[in-house]
Amino acid sequence: MMDGGTMDLMRSEPMQLARIIIPIESAHRTVSYLGDLGLFQFKDLNSGKSPFQRTFATQIKRCGEMARKLRFFKDQMMKAGLLASTRSTYGSEFSLDELEVKLGEHESELIEMNANTEKLQRAYNELLEYKLVLQKAGEFFQYAQSSATNQQRESEELRFGEGSMDSPLLLEQEMTTDLSKQVKLGFVSGLVPRDKSMAFERILFRATRGNVFLKQNVVEERIVDPVQGEKVEKNVFVVFYSGERAKNKVLKICDAFGANRYPFTDDLEKRYHMITEVSGKLSELKTTIDVGTLHWSSALQSIANQFEQWNNLVKKEKSIFHTLNTLSFDVTKKCLVGEGWCPAFATVQIQKALQRATDDSNSQIGAIFEVLHTKESPPTYFRTNKFTSAFQEIVDAYGVAKYQEANPGLYTIVTFPFLFAVMFGDWGHGICLFLATLFLILREKKYSSQKLGDIMEMAFGGRYVIIMMSIFSIYTGLIYNEFFSVPFELFGRSAYDCRDSSCKDATTIGMIKVRDTYPFGVDPMWHGTRSELPFLNSLKMKMSILLGVAQMNLGIILSYFNAKFFRNDINIWYQFIPQMIFLNSLFGYLSLLIIVKWCTGSKADLYHIMIYMFLSPTDDLGENQLFWGQKYLQILLLLLALVAVPWMLIPKPLLLKKQHEERHQGQTYAPLHSLDENLESDLDDESHGGHEEFEFSEVLVHQLIHTIEFVLGSVSNTASYLRLWALSLAHSELSSVFYEKVLLLAWGFNNVVILIIGIIVFIFATVGVLLVMETLSAFLHALRLHWVEFQNKFYEGDGYKFHPFSFELVISEEDD
Amino acid sequence: MGFLLTTLIFVAIGIIASLCTRICFDKGPSANLFHLTLVITATVCCWLMWAIVYLAQMNPLIVPILSEVE
Repeated sequence: MMDGGTMDLMRSEPMQLARIIIPIESAHRTVSYLGDLGLFQFKDLNSGKSPFQRTFATQIKRCGEMARKLRFFKDQMMKAGLLASTRSTYGSEFSLDELEVKLGEHESELIEMNANTEKLQRAYNELLEYKLVLQKAGEFFQYAQSSATNQQRESEELRFGEGSMDSPLLLEQEMTTDLSKQVKLGFVSGLVPRDKSMAFERILFRATRGNVFLKQNVVEERIVDPVQGEKVEKNVFVVFYSGERAKNKVLKICDAFGANRYPFTDDLEKRYHMITEVSGKLSELKTTIDVGTLHWSSALQSIANQFEQWNNLVKKEKSIFHTLNTLSFDVTKKCLVGEGWCPAFATVQIQKALQRATDDSNSQIGAIFEVLHTKESPPTYFRTNKFTSAFQEIVDAYGVAKYQEANPGLYTIVTFPFLFAVMFGDWGHGICLFLATLFLILREKKYSSQKLGDIMEMAFGGRYVIIMMSIFSIYTGLIYNEFFSVPFELFGRSAYDCRDSSCKDATTIGMIKVRDTYPFGVDPMWHGTRSELPFLNSLKMKMSILLGVAQMNLGIILSYFNAKFFRNDINIWYQFIPQMIFLNSLFGYLSLLIIVKWCTGSKADLYHIMIYMFLSPTDDLGENQLFWGQKYLQILLLLLALVAVPWMLIPKPLLLKKQHEERHQGQTYAPLHSLDENLESDLDDESHGGHEEFEFSEVLVHQLIHTIEFVLGSVSNTASYLRLWALSLAHSELSSVFYEKVLLLAWGFNNVVILIIGIIVFIFATVGVLLVMETLSAFLHALRLHWVEFQNKFYEGDGYKFHPFSFELVISEEDD
Repeated sequence: MGFLLTTLIFVAIGIIASLCTRICFDKGPSANLFHLTLVITATVCCWLMWAIVYLAQMNPLIVPILSEVE
């Protein structure tokens, strides 16, 4: 393309390989300013070194430590339910050292607070359990005591003086009467988790051979276990035993089951005293814990205010050190050398940034910026705005353009929504989509700063694509004359009318065309007739072929522009021209036949014409004759197509071989291999092209594959465009079914409730099936048509994307 | 309204649209060429679609046959 008239989006920006030499004292600042600028992609000059051997590995470790502390803060903030405020530049600039100290302080403070809170909480839970033991055990001691005194009174009345003491309340009796008996009974009280209580009882019984008595009482609510910190169901138990050995066994079993033991006195007064003391301590602890939690959350709040700023600073510094690691020291060890790609238009900006950095760091030497020449392939860079970036991403998803080849993204901006609309064609649905995306676009600023879910993110990112799709859908909907499958007479009167005033033939032979053709779109009379489908099918199939041939021709023409730009004459004469001839003499001719048949209204059979053009071209056409000289034209086109195939296949490899021989003429008497290896071991600055391998058989096979792919592909790709017909038929049939069988059916019942239900079902079906599923489906097929049928005519797509060192990208990248 | 007349209307709309984009979004020669390309491509696509549907109905081989229930 001409210099003044090149478009931004047509080809990649011209890129250059540049070398920067920076003095060490201004290195950090230089990289920081370049990061702000965001237009320089550093090459890794130390790719041979492992991460631990690099110069700034310790700095990166420091940053990693700080990032870990920040993650810890984030966890704590989430526990407290706080969010980091999104205020970006708040307060003064910190240096990394200051920040490190600050983070360390905050971390130790938080850890200390957490430990204290944990201790207090544990003590609190233990006291709570103790209180429960006092209460519950006290209850059944009292109950036992009172029933024991009752029984004693009874037995004294009934059997005075009998020594049989086989009541289960033996122990209580003994305790109430005389504590100083020979058999010393002891008891242990505490809490055991309910799910272990049965096993606890059993093992106690077995271990002591039945010589203990266990009484358990259920605690209704769940208690927080001091050790684990979770709420568990527990039982209060009291175990009575006799003897030292039994005591040891009981204690060990309690420990094994994690049953917490608490001291217990059977003296009523002491018990009351203990309960009040414990309650007092509990309320004290509670206030202490509350104060502690308040202190903790206020500390976290102050952290939360500055969290974003600290986080960004740490990320920035880490990325700066990673970049510094890619630079190499020069011979004098006083400067750092960096290489990288940058766009040609950014040269002045980069030089200014370097100048500013050396000035700001008061260095005596200035930085040097020089452009290198190389044969390496540069990265591809398109300057896109928020509108075009979505379309460019669609193209890049298939393959990033090779450096400076024609970018299909330019045409995709219009043709992709257009092909979508051909398959979607309903202006009612188009308006719904338009309103939905308009809402997204009007709330752009709000949504772009929020974190959205995955699906919402995709829909929001593609909002400009969808709005283009909806605008074109409104247009094609008007042409297909479908508003939720209902046609309207918007552009004048319908062309069809009954043959006579009684209209008795309308259902057998049909109407006739009495007026001029309906001026815009499909005649509204067609909807609901018996011959609607044959007419629309024929129309849409032929439309698909015509659109397909047009797009494929555009693709081949773009390959011409590529060839002209790269000054590849071979491709022009021996690829572009035979491809054009082949495609147009067959499918271009078919398109011509379609148009002529429409214009003349002839009854010729196009299938027949095309097939017999190949089978018996010299036969007379008879009633299939559309214009004078058709037979001779067909024979001519057939011959042209036949000639085009070897034209594509044979001359190019031969010419490439001749070219290669001419280029390496002087080097046919090449010296011995050892010298070649020395040449090849030069660094990339020298960037010697190296010996290009040329295998004639390989090139020939490559060209053969390319030719066969094109020849067979021209048939299959043209047929592939018929999906435009298929999807548009599916859409209109679905929409007419929902309209007729849901809405009209509900209307027919003359009942308000059924009507409302019908409307709701209609809305859900339209949104779910037509607006969501059909949109995705048509999107996918339009995408496929672009990626395969359009792009395989000219696109190579084996480049790599320009990924500059930019703080914006760094900060937005790793947001987890 | 006739095929040629409507085609001329499409051409006129295309020219007006390009002039409008040139006036409203003038951002340098490269951006202008880009906008022009987009407008022309859109106009051509829309015209193509209209023309195909119009031509197909000019001399119809099938006519609408109403269904019985109507």
